[in-house]
Amino acid sequence: MTRSRAHARRKSPARGLARARWRVASRMAALCLLALPAVVLAEDVSVHASADLRLVGGSAESSWTEGGFGKSRFGDGNAGAPFANAALSVHWQVTPAWSLATDVRYQSRLGSALSVTEAFARYRPVSTDAWRWSLKLGEFFPPISLENDGIGWTSLWTLTPSAINSWVGEELRTFGAEARVEHRGDGDTLSAGVALFGANDPAGEILASRGWSLSDLVAGIGSRLREPDAYATRIGVAPPRRYDPFLEIDHRVGIYADAEWQSAQFGRLRVLYYDNRADPSTYHPFGTDELFSWRTRFVSAGAQTQIDRLELVAQAMDGSTQIAPPGFASETHFSAAYVLASWNLGAWRPALRVDAFSTRKTPDFPPRMAEHGTAVTLALNWRPVDWLRLTGEALRIDSTRDQRVDASLAPHQTDTQIQLNARFLY
Amino acid sequence: MGRIILQLTALVLLAASALARPVALDVSVTDAHGAAIADAVITAAPQSVSRESEAISQRVPRTHVIDQRNETFIPYVEVFRPGDSVIFRNSDRTRHHAYSFSSARQFDFVLGSGEDSPPMVLDKIGTIAVGCNIHDKMITFFYITDAPWFARSEKSGKVQLDLPAGTYAIRAWHPLLPPGAREDVRIVSIAADSPKEVAFSLQLMPDPRASMDRERVGY
Repeated sequence: MTRSRAHARRKSPARGLARARWRVASRMAALCLLALPAVVLAEDVSVHASADLRLVGGSAESSWTEGGFGKSRFGDGNAGAPFANAALSVHWQVTPAWSLATDVRYQSRLGSALSVTEAFARYRPVSTDAWRWSLKLGEFFPPISLENDGIGWTSLWTLTPSAINSWVGEELRTFGAEARVEHRGDGDTLSAGVALFGANDPAGEILASRGWSLSDLVAGIGSRLREPDAYATRIGVAPPRRYDPFLEIDHRVGIYADAEWQSAQFGRLRVLYYDNRADPSTYHPFGTDELFSWRTRFVSAGAQTQIDRLELVAQAMDGSTQIAPPGFASETHFSAAYVLASWNLGAWRPALRVDAFSTRKTPDFPPRMAEHGTAVTLALNWRPVDWLRLTGEALRIDSTRDQRVDASLAPHQTDTQIQLNARFLY
Repeated sequence: MGRIILQLTALVLLAASALARPVALDVSVTDAHGAAIADAVITAAPQSVSRESEAISQRVPRTHVIDQRNETFIPYVEVFRPGDSVIFRNSDRTRHHAYSFSSARQFDFVLGSGEDSPPMVLDKIGTIAVGCNIHDKMITFFYITDAPWFARSEKSGKVQLDLPAGTYAIRAWHPLLPPGAREDVRIVSIAADSPKEVAFSLQLMPDPRASMDRERVGY
């Protein structure tokens, strides 16, 4: 592939830059932790935390987190009790209108164990009429997920989020500003937002090089995503190939716009259009490698409703990502959707989710990068006490990806992952 | 003779007091599945003004204290008569708002830990939703009514109103009734010594409080 041509233009300062970014990230995380005892004592600071103790029976196929094509977080048939996740969420109401919020996650297999997944300031003055506006500045999630409302951006119904929200956690973060206006009526609220952002130029790369995954890893400042080793080898890079999904490469401003209708009676509907407006002809030295700007555009839609004790959530996403450095151009179309049903039985909350996903690359050459697949997630949650959530989850992902022949695997694989988790909540 | 008159007078007075003695109206409020509903407001308005209803209407206004505790307004629903006042009390360690953009009344108080708002008179009938601009999930509802008799249902979904004999319009209201829902009004005649029962079945919207727990922080 022609990336090896671009790869030939390696630049040594890149490694220094990567180290500097890592230092910044680890210092930010350390500062957050050091400042914690002080802010806990302060009024107007709320602190939430969660920690997972997990038993895992991994899928047979090697996980993408280990350089394989396996779509689940844990693979290689490993059974064990890995440290899965801990999260700290701090919110400081500085004035009645200004607040600061940050989320720090501790997790394995994303390069750095500690990462800052959100850090932003919000200005939201009180309004005594139907209209209310707000402004957010910093690092935050675009409003896509209808699942991840738990401490540390975790799902309330399953351990593993849907394919769509797994990708949002891996590669999408807004480093910029979001303006929002809400109209609050009798029983419903209409909300619209627009954001301008940078530092999301590699977004889309993982969907092209690896495809979709279902995992609860969430990248933050300091995280590195791993691409399949066979893919790295194919483009002439010695594996493991890891990259920073939150880089600014082309100095162009990205944009998203969203609208949401939330009704106390019917539930909510949300749509979002995202365009990182990356210049697909640009690239950036990264370690001994180079990272392209992936021009990524997509439409995302979601709906949520409740019928008695049954809660239904659905999301869909459709878009494309393209690169066009000198000498070649490629575009990967991607789409995914899921439907989740959950029965709220008080302390018990069973949930079932069905995902479908696909990517299609043009031009594509054998072994093709295209993929398609489905996933079924069955979870049973039990909250015996307020501070503890016990979850058993079975995840089965059925996918076909020709690229697996590069790793001497059959294109069609079924990944089955079983997890038992105790989540301690503060 | 004088003794007979005395006895007759005593009898008439006894009969009059029996007539004036309030009669229990038992009201039950359930949802579509028959489960008891708490925080429903039941009001009884007499079809014609009586001595008792007049007396209640001229009662001295009360001051109600609405607490903010554990990021929750307590109570969830409070019933006021026009002229009553409200004081918001922040019992949390964190700062709160108590504000409303309801058409019936707009106001905004910012309360530090341990602070009380100044009393605010609520003089118009209607409903007011009160929130906190810092903690979106915090909400309480004020129901301001000029009906002389009212009560708020507890967990049992049951309410007892002690009414003098007469004819009443009995209404049930709940903050989770869908907007524009048709009001269910029952006309009930109360006769002396004849307790009555009224059952309301309300179709409510999902309770947003049911999905709130310490795990959900809101993203």
